[in-house]
Amino acid sequence: MTALLEVQSLSKQFLGSEGKALTDVNFSVSEGEFVSIIGPSGAGKSTLLRCINRMIDASSGEITFDDRNVTKLKKKELKMVRTKIGMIFQHYNLVDRLSVIENTLHGNLGKKSAIAGVLGLYSQEEKEQALRILSVLGLESLIYKRADQLSGGQKQRVGIARALIQNPRMLLCDEPIASLDPNSAKVIMDHLRDISTSMGITVLVNLHQVDVALKYSDKIIGINSGQVVFNGSPAAITKEDIQRIYGSEAEDLIFDLGGIHAS
Amino acid sequence: MEANGQVTTAGQLVKQRPRRQIRVKTWNRSTVVTRATLLILAGLTVYAFFSFDYKEIDFVQAMLATFANLKSMFLEPHLQRFTFGHALYQVLVTLGLAFLTTLFGAVIAVFFGLLAAENLSSKWVSSVVKGVVAFIRAVPTVLWVLIFAVAAGLGSVAAVIGMTFHSVSYLVKAYSESFEELDKGVIEALKASGAGWWQIIFQAVLPSSLTYMISWTFLRFEINFAVAVAMGAAAGAGGIGFDMFMASNFYLDIREIGAITYFILAVAILLEITAAKLKKRLT
Repeated sequence: MTALLEVQSLSKQFLGSEGKALTDVNFSVSEGEFVSIIGPSGAGKSTLLRCINRMIDASSGEITFDDRNVTKLKKKELKMVRTKIGMIFQHYNLVDRLSVIENTLHGNLGKKSAIAGVLGLYSQEEKEQALRILSVLGLESLIYKRADQLSGGQKQRVGIARALIQNPRMLLCDEPIASLDPNSAKVIMDHLRDISTSMGITVLVNLHQVDVALKYSDKIIGINSGQVVFNGSPAAITKEDIQRIYGSEAEDLIFDLGGIHAS
Repeated sequence: MEANGQVTTAGQLVKQRPRRQIRVKTWNRSTVVTRATLLILAGLTVYAFFSFDYKEIDFVQAMLATFANLKSMFLEPHLQRFTFGHALYQVLVTLGLAFLTTLFGAVIAVFFGLLAAENLSSKWVSSVVKGVVAFIRAVPTVLWVLIFAVAAGLGSVAAVIGMTFHSVSYLVKAYSESFEELDKGVIEALKASGAGWWQIIFQAVLPSSLTYMISWTFLRFEINFAVAVAMGAAAGAGGIGFDMFMASNFYLDIREIGAITYFILAVAILLEITAAKLKKRLT
């Protein structure tokens, strides 16, 4: 397996803040892998994810995606790379007043000319693809519903549809289930896992739920105060690792490590 | 017996309290300043009434004369110098002036509103646009019309330019604030998929803030109608305002003023109702 994404000695320091948000982060992700990034709030998970598609510019270090150095790209090339990376958010970030299908088609804007994008002109193939993706996600009956009338789980599925219509090589998911109830969360995680397995799309997920991360991932990256403190398979994670990631006794955390490994 | 017992305990409780007044408000800077201001204003008002030059007007008689004027104005209105149809046409002219200036203003303001919204343009551009717009807004519309009258001459042209000018500044502020209220995550999401600035504006920003924009624009239309009436009188812009000016200053016909006032009132109420209906349908 070749590395699709490679992050080398990545550091980020925000203007006006003293400490670094990220310090010398190194890891690589192979094609089709499902990787979870875990760590306490404020550890730098969101910053790391946003550095990859340059929603935030890194201070130093290199990010190679699909054999291109993302940190050095010019505006036009950056847009092209961004069309290959889908992004999913905790708060879904849909346009509330538009319909499900319009929100889904928004994923195609990056590939369109400015005029066609402005006027919202989509080709027949694009619309067919949108319908196909929406029916895979179980939303075919809701395509004309306004986004603000959907439940949280449905909104997040629209978010996934918007990312999938880009035909991405990789999905970046910023705490996709943090605002969802356990049932919807499971549906979303199952879809993400399925996307990774059956479509071969690499998935990078920020998670707060350690047990979910252990259950779904091929690889876990643990981050604490901007540094990678664990990088390995879920089977290899120990109580000491969890303690290093979260800075507390594993027993104090509200999940059962043994139970997960056993199952 | 039980009830009696309770009463005595309650009485004891009250007695145990230290007997001093409990102030609800504390004396801090803001209360001192507010109270001092109110006191000074009250004093000035009283002083003003004593220092007016009354010119030996009989107060009661003056009041009665005013009421008589109001009575003939509003209870005995008539149209003498023009017909009902003419008055209706002139109201339409005034409405046209208001509509034109609002339309021009809205189109220009959308563009500058985008530049003035901090989340859509740079901080520097935003503050420059906001600063210029605040300056234009600080000068009243009437004054702008008179300023443009220097170049265009008193009349409808100066009125259109001046009113457009002020409408732009008003709407830029209103629009940019509704743009700024947009959830920044939505912009981030489209940016992350590679969408460009114009695409984000038309696909996310405008659809999300359309209701606000329409209600602000309609509010400005109502303001512009009132201003257009005044401009007809003050700047010779035509319309019902000019007829009112002629009736009051030239023919001294109080009853005709009353009739014209009713016309304007009717249109204003109509606009208000339309605005309320429009708003309800949009949300």
